[in-house]
Amino acid sequence: MDGNFSYDPAKNYDEDTMAQQRAIEKEIAESQSLIGSVLSFDDIVEEYAKEDAVYRHKVEDLKTRYKTVRKVRGDGNCFFRAFGFAYLERLLTRPEEYSRFVDITQKSKDKLLALGFPQFTLEDFHDVFMDIVSQVKSPGTVEKLKETFNDQGLSDYFVVYLRLLVSGELQGNEGEYLHFIDGERTVKEFCGQEVEPMGKESDHIHIVALARSVGVPVAVEYMDREGNKCNLLSFSPGEGGEGGQEAQPSLFLLYRPGHYDILYPL
Amino acid sequence: MANIAEQRIKREFKEVVKSDEVSAFNIKVELVNDTFTELRGEIAGPPDTAYEGGKFKLEIKIPETYPFNPPQVKFVTKIWHPNISSVTGAICLDILKDQWAAAMTLRTVLLSLQALLAAAEPDDPQDAVVAQQFKENNPIFQRTARHWTCAYAGGPKSDKELEEKVVSMKNMGFDEHKARVALSTKDWDVTRAAEYLIS
Repeated sequence: MDGNFSYDPAKNYDEDTMAQQRAIEKEIAESQSLIGSVLSFDDIVEEYAKEDAVYRHKVEDLKTRYKTVRKVRGDGNCFFRAFGFAYLERLLTRPEEYSRFVDITQKSKDKLLALGFPQFTLEDFHDVFMDIVSQVKSPGTVEKLKETFNDQGLSDYFVVYLRLLVSGELQGNEGEYLHFIDGERTVKEFCGQEVEPMGKESDHIHIVALARSVGVPVAVEYMDREGNKCNLLSFSPGEGGEGGQEAQPSLFLLYRPGHYDILYPL
Repeated sequence: MANIAEQRIKREFKEVVKSDEVSAFNIKVELVNDTFTELRGEIAGPPDTAYEGGKFKLEIKIPETYPFNPPQVKFVTKIWHPNISSVTGAICLDILKDQWAAAMTLRTVLLSLQALLAAAEPDDPQDAVVAQQFKENNPIFQRTARHWTCAYAGGPKSDKELEEKVVSMKNMGFDEHKARVALSTKDWDVTRAAEYLIS
């Protein structure tokens, strides 16, 4: 834009803003894979300045429980993409759990249709989702899975369906979640604003809902400026965990403010 | 990516064209060229509104990243509405911006636009002048919107008094559309409208 800017009423500035946003997304896309390679914690620690004692300390803490970390692109969909990849990677070596997951996700389509999601698009996303899931049936490989998850179109289709599952879980059990939604909004409004649109970041409520909708316990290590150890939170799909036996997490994620990556335990 | 967008639009296109529900609501989509990147939409003004009887044409552009990003939609037919620019036809609607979801379709968009015509949101305006009139002088807003529907969208109800004011300004040598904009902006006060055009 040149120095003497003058407002042109015939121009649509919203389109400009959106074009600019896409340009930024493209730049991130070119510099970071959707699903990266496995890294050591020494690679991670390099991201922090020498004097950043809090984070360096916390990376040391992680080393006592995890062997490696896998980075996921920071595009607002990282929780969903990290969850999807980490869980399917786990299923590669667990045929029984694979069958359970196929069964539950097959049935999920009718549940979502019953909640009023449009059949036309839902079927499309569900078909592609099931196709991707079937790739981990033996003899699937991590390499093939990684290739699929790095194909933007397929990867995003997968993310969309996980978002729909979360929306379905929240709307189908409205009473349980209503009190956890901030602002004066209904569960349906919340889903329309914070769950279904691509790129909307995930909070506890998204994690709880996804864990429950597919019956997969998730653990998240929160790495922030508080304290000197990471804070581990488990999201169990079971009803009201109090006193009950906590299920062993099926996957571990690392949360750093605004972003999720995948952790691999020792 | 581009391929996903095209496949999806092809399927949606068939869906919208053949859907009975869609014809009942009076919405239409047609191709502009054979690339599926540009479409022409049309919605009928909802009954019992100032847009009743009008047919509003829309320009629809499909981005390469569709359906993960929303289609770009604007009104081609001129319209007087708080959430639509009377100058460019640009639309302020959440689902065309940050609340778009990939599970939505062109059908969702057209039906939402029709709903927007029936229920404006003046507190989230695209056209500040129209929004102000909507809030502060709603009867004039309703007459103005109806008049625009008649003048640009083929609406049936002509408002003799407003029409005569446009004609009188045309006779003073002003361009018809500019005169209508000025009169609409100045609550149909001919003197203020003329001053507005001269300044």
